[in-house]
Amino acid sequence: MKKPSEAVLLLLLLFFAPHAKGTRFSPPGKPALTRCRSPEKETFTCWWEPGPDGGLTTTYALYYRKENSEAVYECPDYHTAGENSCFFNKNDTSIWVNYNITVVATNTLGSTFSDPVDIDVVYIVKPNPPEKLTVTVMEDKGWPFLRVSWEPPHKADTRSGWITLIYELRVKLEGEDDWEMHLAGQQKTFNIFSLRSGGTYHVQVRCKPDHGFWSEWSSTSYIKVPDYFHREKSAWILIMVFTAFIFLILTWLLHMNSHSLKHCILPPVPGPKIRGFDEKLLKNGKSEDIFSALVVSGFPPTMSSNCEDLLVEYLEVYVPDEHELMLEEGKDLHDHCLKSEGSTSDNDSGRGSCDSHTLLMDKCGEAKEQGRQTEQEERPVETQRHQKEWNEDTLPYAHEDTVSPDMSSGRVKTWPSVFCPLPQYSSSPPNHTSSLEIAKQHCLSDSLFPPGSTSSYLTHPGHSTKETLGPSRWEFSLSNKQPRSLHPQMQTRQQLQARSDINLSNVGCEQAPVGLLPPTARPTEYVEVQRVNEEDMVLLKPVASGRGCGDGCPRLRQAEDYSKVKGVNSDHTLLLQREVMGEEAERCPCQDQETNGETDSCITSSTVTTTQKPPACNYTAAAVQDKMAPTVSGYVDTASIFTLPTY
Amino acid sequence: MNSMTGTVAWRAVWAALLWPCLLTAAMPLDCTEEQGSLYRCPSISQEKLLDRVIQHAELIYRVSEESCAMFEEMFVPFPLRLQRNQAGYSCITKALPIPSSKSEIQHISDKWLLHSVLMLVQSWIEPLVYLQTTLDRYENAPDMLLNKTKWVSDKLISLEQGVVVLIRKMLDEGMLTTTYNEHGLFQYDALPDMLESVMRDYTLISCFKKDAHKMEVFLKLLKCRQSDNYNCA
Repeated sequence: MKKPSEAVLLLLLLFFAPHAKGTRFSPPGKPALTRCRSPEKETFTCWWEPGPDGGLTTTYALYYRKENSEAVYECPDYHTAGENSCFFNKNDTSIWVNYNITVVATNTLGSTFSDPVDIDVVYIVKPNPPEKLTVTVMEDKGWPFLRVSWEPPHKADTRSGWITLIYELRVKLEGEDDWEMHLAGQQKTFNIFSLRSGGTYHVQVRCKPDHGFWSEWSSTSYIKVPDYFHREKSAWILIMVFTAFIFLILTWLLHMNSHSLKHCILPPVPGPKIRGFDEKLLKNGKSEDIFSALVVSGFPPTMSSNCEDLLVEYLEVYVPDEHELMLEEGKDLHDHCLKSEGSTSDNDSGRGSCDSHTLLMDKCGEAKEQGRQTEQEERPVETQRHQKEWNEDTLPYAHEDTVSPDMSSGRVKTWPSVFCPLPQYSSSPPNHTSSLEIAKQHCLSDSLFPPGSTSSYLTHPGHSTKETLGPSRWEFSLSNKQPRSLHPQMQTRQQLQARSDINLSNVGCEQAPVGLLPPTARPTEYVEVQRVNEEDMVLLKPVASGRGCGDGCPRLRQAEDYSKVKGVNSDHTLLLQREVMGEEAERCPCQDQETNGETDSCITSSTVTTTQKPPACNYTAAAVQDKMAPTVSGYVDTASIFTLPTY
Repeated sequence: MNSMTGTVAWRAVWAALLWPCLLTAAMPLDCTEEQGSLYRCPSISQEKLLDRVIQHAELIYRVSEESCAMFEEMFVPFPLRLQRNQAGYSCITKALPIPSSKSEIQHISDKWLLHSVLMLVQSWIEPLVYLQTTLDRYENAPDMLLNKTKWVSDKLISLEQGVVVLIRKMLDEGMLTTTYNEHGLFQYDALPDMLESVMRDYTLISCFKKDAHKMEVFLKLLKCRQSDNYNCA
């Protein structure tokens, strides 16, 4: 039985052997034409994909047939284009002609034909990539850009126009994945803007015929953009740095000067102060030092200055009719508040100064005249002028009283004032109190005024009579200003305007501007104008006392403090009103001051001394204030207040 | 369909751009011969005219290529698509003395180039009209295809006029009669078989597409010859 099985096996083997062999060796598989391409519309190449070769060496052949022709040609060139390719050169290429191409695979067992393919060369154009790609960095107004240029593939005949190519390029930054495409059309250069400073760019370009396929991308060209600084950015950075710097400096300055800025923006309210008066000394309790500090050397002026100079004061001559001229004396500010010149407004008060026989009649009349004229004419102008004067003058002119136009009572008021620049005062006539206040404040600010200086400005050269009282508080600010604005005839007149700071206190005492306010009853004393010296200075002497000052000055002064010109009597005599409180007079070395030895000079000097000697002044001032307080019409004698605590 | 809409939009843009060309081409070109005519003959430089003619040819080719693709997709069965000439239908312009290789083309003169273009244009005017009628007979011919073929036939007439003017300007020749049209290249017989009809039409469209490309290439070659630019394309 083994033999039949063996035979079967053999038969089977024989049967299957050929089959086995047949699977290994077979006719070749069917090849397939993958593509045909023409790079320049003049030649073309076809590639095919071989099928399974069937185990035997297979050869491939390409046959083609042209349009409308039955002739079959074989591929002329199998090697130029590589393996499994057929290259048709120029001679074999006809355009606008359909080619029917077939590939045949042949091996020993058979051959296999591929599917035919119809092609027209003009439709299969796929050019080579552009060549000579160059990228350069160029600059356009400080901004860099890339200039890309290339050449068409050398095979493509673009020069004759046989083939028209359009180009496309792509750019990307190194490290990124996204390409930026740019269609360049038929041009061969292209500009790329908006570059990143310091970046490296990859550039590629490809081309396509107007009807055909895109070429492959050319080889990458690398370009590095140099680091450039944005001019705008750098400018902005500079500006910011500069601004920050300036800001820092300003802040530092502000910090440094914060204190002074505070002063500038929010100036501290000045407190009352007496020059030379040290609060700390007060606190220390050494009154002697305090008062010594207040003493101004040279004040009251001793023999150095002319007593007559001391007599210079503002004389406001108010002439209501021609007989009523009142000279009122103001008192020194440091003197306690003196009674206001209530007499000025009184028609019958103090009017007799000029009428007084004790007065020098001639002078009185003179003064009266002047007063009248000054009064009448200056009054309306005075207000403005005073305003102006005080606005303009830094010199401590004893300001004239703001004579109200309606106060034509014809009184002359002299305001012996402290030797300090009299402050401005409002031109409003009724505002006498304010004027006085101002005057007083003014005096306070410069409470101690060197006599020499005051005399300097007290004298008004070339104008009407001026009474220059030295550092005494009698300031006769002669109407040198007045003459300018007033009638020329006024200039010829001697206008005496005496104002005393005592009048300021008079304000408190209702005195207010001499002669302007309705005078309150006030005890008045009269000072006789002793004479008008050659320098047109009015020398005053107390009327009541009727005695020369001489050595008896202290006494006299004490009792007689003439600070106001009450008026000018009919005899042209200036009537000076003496303050009730004349204690301060005791201080004055009258002989020294009075060159003429007049009592009035003594008095003036006494008044001066009183100013200079606060203690006495204070004493009197205090007294005055007590009296005057109730009568104060809104004005506070700050001097007295200030000086009061010194005690 | 997206490609079709895109191409239609593109065609619209081209039509808008070439609108003045239409006007130019449609105007009587021999205006200088008319005395006291009301028409103002718009003079145009030779280069510009050539550019416009080339643009016309480019556009015509593009549209015909789209039409052919559309037709092939719709009506031609797949196996037959690559064998256009298999049925034996040859292009009607095959007999025309038109150079067909680059070497030939580069050796012929400008005059012959222009004349070749004119021949082609004039020989295709009539068949395109026929194509329009045949396409209407198709059952589900898309309107776009019909519009395109119509557009092409219209444009071809303008192209002919432009080429005539060009010939006159460049070659100083007089008006040419359309002698080539009388060649009678085209003879149409109604065929009963639908497939054959389709194949014939398909051949027609393909041949036209090819000839349009020829016209374009000839004109571009001519342009490069005219321009002094060394690297003109």
